[in-house]
Amino acid sequence: MSARRFVIPGEEVARGRVKLGEGVYREGDRVYAAVMGLLDTSRGSVRVISLVGRYYPKVGDFVIGTVTGTIYETAWSVDISSPYTAILNSSDFHREVDPFRIPLAKVMKPGTVIYAYVREVAPTKGVYLTMKQRGCRIVKGGRLVEISPAKVPRVIGRKRSMLGMLARETGCRILVGQNGMVWVSCRSTAMEDLVERALRKIEEEAHTSGLTDRIKEMIVRERERV
Amino acid sequence: MKAGEPEEFIVDGRRLDGRKVDELRPLKIEAGVLKRADGSAYVEWGGNKVLAACYGPKEIHPRHEANPKRAVLRTYYSMAPFSVYERKRPGPDRRSMEISKVTRQALESVVFTHLYPMTAIDVFIEILQAQAGTRCAGITAASVALADAGIPMRDLVPACAAGKVGGHIVLDLFDIEDNYGEADLPVAIVPRTGEVCLMQMDGNLTQEEFEQAFELAVKGCMQVYEKQKEALKKAYEKRGEEQ
Repeated sequence: MSARRFVIPGEEVARGRVKLGEGVYREGDRVYAAVMGLLDTSRGSVRVISLVGRYYPKVGDFVIGTVTGTIYETAWSVDISSPYTAILNSSDFHREVDPFRIPLAKVMKPGTVIYAYVREVAPTKGVYLTMKQRGCRIVKGGRLVEISPAKVPRVIGRKRSMLGMLARETGCRILVGQNGMVWVSCRSTAMEDLVERALRKIEEEAHTSGLTDRIKEMIVRERERV
Repeated sequence: MKAGEPEEFIVDGRRLDGRKVDELRPLKIEAGVLKRADGSAYVEWGGNKVLAACYGPKEIHPRHEANPKRAVLRTYYSMAPFSVYERKRPGPDRRSMEISKVTRQALESVVFTHLYPMTAIDVFIEILQAQAGTRCAGITAASVALADAGIPMRDLVPACAAGKVGGHIVLDLFDIEDNYGEADLPVAIVPRTGEVCLMQMDGNLTQEEFEQAFELAVKGCMQVYEKQKEALKKAYEKRGEEQ
């Protein structure tokens, strides 16, 4: 990883005609950082990678959400740990459901955990999910671990290296939502504990190099005791 | 002359607490001091001890307060009962509501609220100990807390006061100067552009005195700004060292 400079809001990061990514703003000819974080100019645009912050839904993201107590006639409301609550219409459910014959609360109760796809984010910030995408489903058992959404790319790793290693070394099923929710299901709770510890370690040491190897070491060392 | 008023405010070019006329009180800023809040900052500024915490952007309650065009910034300035010599009755009062309002307006001018419609950003400023100039310390802490929470903003907002005591224009009044002095002029700026986002005046100044005091306050703000930047950088480095 190339050395990225730490910048704070108001710091000048570029001049002239450049493409703007996230976390920056333009005023006149100059570009300034809007958030504190690491400056990245590697992808043909100027952006600041925030190290903290909440999840802001983006079309195309897969997220893990929990069905809330507010269930409408033809839609569920889903908590995706973001400032905006999401809506899952019954027509976007992965199976055929007729909300006028079977109440939606009987199809998915409040508290049900789902893996879903962000289909639309309206200008008024209405967030619509769909489960008619590959991999979308109701997830049962296991546990949910909440990590910072800013650390999700690190948990997945380049070409899923970190996530692949975690699943391979522990034999657990792991789903990562872009919103920072991680679902972990293992044969034993002790193994789930280990994965959770590993996730916490990744979150804390996200910006250090050689992390995948160290996490692997940790798992190999500790799984004997599990 | 009121009881307790000092006869001279400046002796041999030094103020009652030993400072020069254009000198700040010792200032220490620390970012990211609270674990539960999204962002936080602690400021020790002379005898002032201020804790600021920030949450958000988050879903707004009550819902009717939501703005479909931008996030709603809510600030709460509050003084602890033990922050002053005589116990302060806890809870909001006229003064703290005024300060909450001017703080909100100062911060609204830099936060990119349009990015997060229908949400709320809450900022809590808790004065643990007061020694005059708490609104400036509060704004200074709050803007560091907002940056620490990763909320997009144009710049940090440093604040600093200047005033007039015993006929002299001085920087950063402390309690005795504030109580018995002739004028107090708190100022908050956007350092990069020089925009003024808070200015209030207590007492009277002539036009020349005002201009002199304003210039001095802006210089003070720039010193505060350096400390704010340092605090954020240090918080980032600390996170790195813990590994």
